[in-house]
Amino acid sequence: MVKVAIYPPNSLILADLIERKGHTPLVLQKQIRQKIKDPEIDSPPMNITEEDPIKGLKYAAIEVPSGVRGRMAIIGPLIDEAEAAIIVDGAPYGFGCIGCARTNELSIFLLRNKDIPVLEITYPTNQDETYVMVNDINEFIDSLEETDKEEE
Amino acid sequence: MVKIALVSCGTEYSGIQKEIEKAANKFGAEIILPEIDLDYIDESYEKFGFSAQSSSLKLMIARAMAIVEGRCKPDAVFIATCFRCAEAALVRNEVRRFIQNNTRIPVVTYSFTERTKADELFIRMEALATTVTRRSILAREKQEGLTLGLDSGSTTTKAVLMENNKVIGTGWTSTKDIIESAKTAAAEAFGETDYDWDDLDGIGTTGYGRFTMGQEFGAELIQEELSVNAKGAVYLADCQKGEATVLDIGGMDNKVITVNNGIPDNFTMGGICAGASGRFLDMTSRRLDVDITELGPLAVQGDWRKAMLNSYCIVFGIQDLVTTLAAGGSKADVAAAACHSVSEQVYEQQLQEIDIREPLIQVGGTSLISGLVEAVSETLGGIEVIVPEYSQHIGAVGSALLVSGMGHRQDNK
Amino acid sequence: MSQNLTMSPDLGTEDWDPDVITRMIFIGPGAHVSEQEIVTAFHMLDLPLTIKNTCYGSMISGKSEDVYEAIKEIRKLDPNHIFTKERGFAPGDPRRCRGHRFGPREGFHQMEKEYQILGFVSNALENPKEVEIEEKKPVDVDEFKKIMNECLDKKE
Repeated sequence: MVKVAIYPPNSLILADLIERKGHTPLVLQKQIRQKIKDPEIDSPPMNITEEDPIKGLKYAAIEVPSGVRGRMAIIGPLIDEAEAAIIVDGAPYGFGCIGCARTNELSIFLLRNKDIPVLEITYPTNQDETYVMVNDINEFIDSLEETDKEEE
Repeated sequence: MVKIALVSCGTEYSGIQKEIEKAANKFGAEIILPEIDLDYIDESYEKFGFSAQSSSLKLMIARAMAIVEGRCKPDAVFIATCFRCAEAALVRNEVRRFIQNNTRIPVVTYSFTERTKADELFIRMEALATTVTRRSILAREKQEGLTLGLDSGSTTTKAVLMENNKVIGTGWTSTKDIIESAKTAAAEAFGETDYDWDDLDGIGTTGYGRFTMGQEFGAELIQEELSVNAKGAVYLADCQKGEATVLDIGGMDNKVITVNNGIPDNFTMGGICAGASGRFLDMTSRRLDVDITELGPLAVQGDWRKAMLNSYCIVFGIQDLVTTLAAGGSKADVAAAACHSVSEQVYEQQLQEIDIREPLIQVGGTSLISGLVEAVSETLGGIEVIVPEYSQHIGAVGSALLVSGMGHRQDNK
Repeated sequence: MSQNLTMSPDLGTEDWDPDVITRMIFIGPGAHVSEQEIVTAFHMLDLPLTIKNTCYGSMISGKSEDVYEAIKEIRKLDPNHIFTKERGFAPGDPRRCRGHRFGPREGFHQMEKEYQILGFVSNALENPKEVEIEEKKPVDVDEFKKIMNECLDKKE
């Protein structure tokens, strides 16, 4: 089983395609759950406190806006954990955690520079392009399985 | 309850969402989010015409559009984005202009960090809430009757007596006991006239000591200094319509307020470094052995480039000036360098955070130092700087103006 | 009642349990099962789960082990048309529920967009085939010149 980071990190389609192949998609929602289920909650709705943008300093310098560092405190640990990554170019983005273009640029850069297998695809707009996306993802995941087995 | 629509990006992820809401609740207001669907977001983003990359900024634009098009009917709008984000700063200003040009809804903007201070949020929310609940007061453009304005600041207390749209008496004293200082300043203002406390129609208070004074004198208007100073400045400078910026370099802290049709919509306050305050000029005048009132004209004659000043610091900077003097430098050049240093640091610390709108109205005690006013204009690329008469009494003038029409003390006599 | 966007949530003990997770289940276009059938199937599994019908499909929450087991079984009903993803907030959490908060959740609009191509994804899963897509290239300079001259001629 390989831990696969995805971008956008909350994509339904990416997470589902990875999971149905028996691997673990590293999704944002799990990170958010950890934060909001903290019984020490004192800063709703996300329970991001003054500490989180400070934790985000691990990924971005103090001169970077607080909103980027606060978001990196959530997304960063997923990047740290990743053993492979699928990045979709031109995907629709939600707002909230992934509503900041600078955070997304930094996250994708960190994934590309991590020395892990990375698949980059384009978000489809029609049936044929969707075939290409699904095929590419399946092939990529199969190739991960092979390396996984070799290592074992 | 006053409904304040939140048009923002990054508040949740900087951990200040709760703080914003707390500040609003404190002043009897509540925060709402304009509800919109995806199609509307795409449509309004296209219509607005700003190609933002961040989707949360698109959402911000769409929320502003929903307000302008009347889909959401808030009483006021709070626009906030992360400090140091260029994309967000551009959107924040354009969205602000868009709402102000197309509605009469009051707006306050803010660029925040994770260390946003409660005070900064409180004063903005108070200003926003009072703009809504006291719109008729802020619309006042002429002073009527006989009114007294009292401004209790951290270092000085000011009093202004106004009658029929004219200042007829002023008082000024350093702040010790709040009430006693207010009485001293008021006595000075009354001293220039035949009037006394019993003749007043109303009293307005502002500044840090506004609640204490308000209670003691039974003031008809107790108002934070943001609205009062802004109103006082545009009244004195005759800029009640359109845009303006009010700059107050104080003895201890500085304020920059942007104003649209007499109503403040953004504000920054700082007070960390004495080198960026009137205190630096006070020290300089003592070193030069000239009265503070002579420093301005002296500076105007000098050239700051001829004096060595390598630090903004009140300790090291002043030391540099002394060295310049010892090396035979002229007093005028040193005075000019001191004014230039303060203005440059105010620019670096504060003016950069705000979108400066012309004209700039400089107020407060330091506005009387002509060399500083000239330096501010130069630092800002030669923009028009207005120093109105009574600029040093700005808060007291604003209070006396705004309270007129509210006090009816003579009615029962 | 006062609108409160950042209320401190008053949740049950289960909602605070970090091992209790929530999943959203979506049914793509052309599915062979209905939303109601899926909800019934969840109930038939007899697992300790909270099951909710929603506008896009359903939402289940419970201990992670039970939730993953249930998802595995439900997928079997129509593997190519059932999609699922995690949700951070529990069903009805006042911090994210539209009922308490004006305006939808932050991720909702993205879900709406992704839903628009779910039918294509289902087709690709159901009838896998190799497709070649020609990459778009900038127009040739000579071609560009020809078109430009044609347009200019027309104007005259």
